Amino acid sequence: MLQYFNPKTDTPISIDKDLGTPPSLSENQVSLSIDGVELSVPEGTSILRAAALIDINIPKLCASDNLEAFGSCRLCAVQVEGQRGLPAACTTPVHDGMQVTTQNYKLAKLRRNIMELYISDHPLDCLTCPANGACELQDMAGAVGLREVRYGFSGENHLDAEKDQSNPYFTFDPSKCIVCSRCVRACEEVQGTFALTVDNRGFGSTIAAGQKEDFLESDCVSCGACVQSCPTATLMENSVIDQGQPEHSVVTTCAYCGVGCSFKAEMKGDQVIRMVPYKGGEANQGHACVKGRFAFGYATHKDRIKTPMIRDAIDQPWRSVSWEEAIAFSAERFKKIQAEHGRESIGGITSSRCTNEETYLVQKLIRAAFGNNNTDTCARVCHSPTGYGLKTTLGESAGTQTFDSVSQADTILVIGANPTDAHPVFGSMIRKRLREGANLIVADPRQIDLLSTAHRSTTLHLPLRPGTNVALINAFAHTVVSEGLEDNAFIASRCDQKAYQKWRSFILEEQNSPDAMAAITGVPAEEIRKAARLYANVKNGAIFYGLGVTEHSQGSTMVMGIANLALATGNLGREGVGVNPLRGQNNVQGSCDMGSFPHELPGYQHVADEQARGRFEQAWGVTLDDEPGLRIPNMFDSAIAGHFKGLYVQGEDIAQSDPNTQHVEAALKAMECVVVQDIFLNETAKFAHVLLPGSTFLEKNGTFINAERRINRVRKVMAPIAGKEDWEVTVDLANALGYSMDYQHPSQIMDEIASLAPTFSGVSYALLEDQGSIQWPCNEQHPMGTPIMHVDDFPIGKGNFAITQYVATEERANRRFPLLLTTGRILSQYNVGAQTRRTDNQTWHAEDVLEVHPHDAEERGIQDGDWLGISSRAGQTVLRAKVSERMQPGVVYTTFHHPGSGANVITTDSSDWATNCPEYKVTAVQVEKVSQPSEWQQNFERLNQQQQSHLLKGRKGRQEKEAG
Amino acid sequence: MTNAQLDHLIRMANQIADNNTHHDTESEAVEMVTTHLKKFWARAMKQQIVEYALNDGQALNPVAKQAIDQLALHYAPASK
Ligand code: SF4
Ligand code: SF4
Ligand code: SF4
Ligand code: FES
Repeated sequence: MLQYFNPKTDTPISIDKDLGTPPSLSENQVSLSIDGVELSVPEGTSILRAAALIDINIPKLCASDNLEAFGSCRLCAVQVEGQRGLPAACTTPVHDGMQVTTQNYKLAKLRRNIMELYISDHPLDCLTCPANGACELQDMAGAVGLREVRYGFSGENHLDAEKDQSNPYFTFDPSKCIVCSRCVRACEEVQGTFALTVDNRGFGSTIAAGQKEDFLESDCVSCGACVQSCPTATLMENSVIDQGQPEHSVVTTCAYCGVGCSFKAEMKGDQVIRMVPYKGGEANQGHACVKGRFAFGYATHKDRIKTPMIRDAIDQPWRSVSWEEAIAFSAERFKKIQAEHGRESIGGITSSRCTNEETYLVQKLIRAAFGNNNTDTCARVCHSPTGYGLKTTLGESAGTQTFDSVSQADTILVIGANPTDAHPVFGSMIRKRLREGANLIVADPRQIDLLSTAHRSTTLHLPLRPGTNVALINAFAHTVVSEGLEDNAFIASRCDQKAYQKWRSFILEEQNSPDAMAAITGVPAEEIRKAARLYANVKNGAIFYGLGVTEHSQGSTMVMGIANLALATGNLGREGVGVNPLRGQNNVQGSCDMGSFPHELPGYQHVADEQARGRFEQAWGVTLDDEPGLRIPNMFDSAIAGHFKGLYVQGEDIAQSDPNTQHVEAALKAMECVVVQDIFLNETAKFAHVLLPGSTFLEKNGTFINAERRINRVRKVMAPIAGKEDWEVTVDLANALGYSMDYQHPSQIMDEIASLAPTFSGVSYALLEDQGSIQWPCNEQHPMGTPIMHVDDFPIGKGNFAITQYVATEERANRRFPLLLTTGRILSQYNVGAQTRRTDNQTWHAEDVLEVHPHDAEERGIQDGDWLGISSRAGQTVLRAKVSERMQPGVVYTTFHHPGSGANVITTDSSDWATNCPEYKVTAVQVEKVSQPSEWQQNFERLNQQQQSHLLKGRKGRQEKEAG
Repeated sequence: MTNAQLDHLIRMANQIADNNTHHDTESEAVEMVTTHLKKFWARAMKQQIVEYALNDGQALNPVAKQAIDQLALHYAPASK
């Protein structure tokens, strides 16, 4: 008898095959026979799925294995021995001893009749239909042997229904709709947005977005789940309508956010036609968001830098040169600076957007070829406190869970994160769990969308004042301890007792009580108590946090406070619990793992650790500095002071993403050699002397590591536009500097990483090929990786409670700057927006706006759309107003996706005490109505035009050279 | 060295001290701060702050000052 098998490991069935209904998780097996074949499957499996597992493919239209069965098309009717009628295979679960017949005369006739009805209301323009060749309706007509349609097409039908082309990425053509409701269910069950409805009943029924609006005006967030699930051409990607069906595909990883979704890049030659979330991807399980699925057009945008360029000074036009010349030019300048100003006068910045292999090479180049530790990464400005805080308390600088683990959480505590916008696919997973009955607590100054998820269980919003996180978490922990809600067994067996006792007496101090802290946080004591009970009293409490935690003057303290809370309640070391940082960019985790920080070699090994350093020295054949190098803000200070003169920046835009823009610009201007490697002329490149063309994720091989420590493969689907993958450029630069690097393929770089970083020792491309993805630690103890961390013990042995004294930030509202500005992001744009601004995602967010509470707006006579001058002690900028009640009075909010908005002109150099992670989330500001852009913005525009013309000259030069 | 750069270092050192004051004894707090500086500050930064602490040190809070005095045992002040 055939046993039920895991389609991932031991089956000939392709992961791409649609098995009709979702798998059943039951452990009980049920035996049955289908068309005489005996098999056993888990209880609760549908007949449709059971049959598909043994490759008996019952016709179906309304079923799909990522959706609950609905049973509306009846095409999957089967005959069951001893049962009357013809039940639908998709909605009928198997039972022991069941005998199923899937094909006979009666069934064939029924199916043909059904198809005939469908087709009579369907335009028969198959040859010119964009779904031609990939249409399930077509397939089913073939499968049931439909040969004639007796009803004619003249009766009432939907053939001339109008198309909805409002969404830039897909078209809705209702004339082709068979009202199978797969799109409606996908929107509800997979995405959790409920944007689509079935209007009317019976023949007159139609699919509508929202209240008969078009897609763009409805609640639709353009995730594309409905498009993917539509069996016909009704919902179809515009790229397929324009270019036709793809002919081959490659599995790769999204280069946007830290969810790290797996995609099939569906191709025609070397052109990407569409990105389809890969069902076998363990992070996203077949779902995606508007960025990953649709916003890939930037890769072929005309603004891409296609040749290396150099110039002697930043007020000169660029000159297109060969790779050799650009590399030699950079190496010479760096060497000259070091000869004149010393070994420590240059440094580099690695990227959280590039692959691990690339990041590893850049820090290696800095440490080995520059001979100093002046390496840092943009994770400095987002998640460095996570590294510090989690390492101190739990012993490892990473989140503890898989994303999937949230499906077992009973209370979900979200702090300073906005998952439905910043980590959309994970946001959908949270929403699903909430609909299943989990409780939700959100600690955030802003009313985030997650709070509007319809669900039956408890939702609490703690709208704390920006900058008071630690006060809040201490009050939380105070309640847990004073009300005896700790997990004493866990504390006794898993935690350091001395540290615990010390922490316990600290947290019980009156200053940490909810009543004392209410004055600071602005959250009533009773609300905090309710929340603490809701988290501590359930079986599984899971914490997810984002940049609203880290980007504060006490970012590291807050991370430790979160870990303390999880330790005290025993919410670590199993499914459904944990402490989970939601990483911003795709490879933030990886860039930290790869030794991008100035004090740590790859695998979080301190440069002063002689043994670790010794192994690197031996492998790299150089002597390494045993002192930490400069962090990004220290580099800037040192540049302005005249000591730091040269910078190699791969794939980062520090001039836009770092705080206090004017300070950053002054630092960049003070340098003698800035080498920028990027796909576009970014803001930093405007201050550069060398511009090295970068390659997008579609143009290279490598790996990314997502927020659950999952190492995912990035696969090349097209040739790099300027001829080199980013890692090759770093290799060339190292060689030109006289430090020999010799790699033929990124897999060799990963092998080197595995040999030096203990948590990666088992990782190889072969293993990744085999397993699809691996969560580190992957080593001798955990050869197949570690989905859940800290199951038996912590890397430091016992869990360590840390003292988390609340210290108010210096960035306080006062008479001059009475409002607090906090920053965030939105769904359609990504970080500095270099990529998404060059796609149709602009449709949703063409400019950054300042959200102001009606109360503050009224006081200042501000109305929607007014120009507002926003000033802080760092600078001034101008943005358009949006009056909104998402924040409390006294708090204003903006995003920083557009360079011209200058949101970072106003953010200050206030930073986390432990890591210098900038305090983006709190800036004291004043807001007033103005009539023109700020001085900085006017300068920005001038500089922008100048630099664009310098670039144009460089490009022209190349064309002339090529022509001549 | 510009004043802005030194100002930053002083501010950072004070901030580290402020965030480590809650320990049983002051010497414990001082030790935490010294360890932190040793572990995370670049050589040049250590030298600059040591030089400042030795010559002036007025703007440093007591815990930071003591921590940097400890640091001075290992790091020579910046040479001009
Ligand atoms: S739009 Fe597509 S998925 Fe939705 S009901 Fe119509 S045919 Fe089915
Ligand atoms: S694109 Fe996503 S959000 Fe929009 S209607 Fe389709 S499933 Fe719903
Ligand atoms: S941006 Fe994030 S959620 Fe969206 S597809 Fe990419 S990895 Fe997935
Ligand atoms: S597939 Fe079963 S009723 Fe449609």
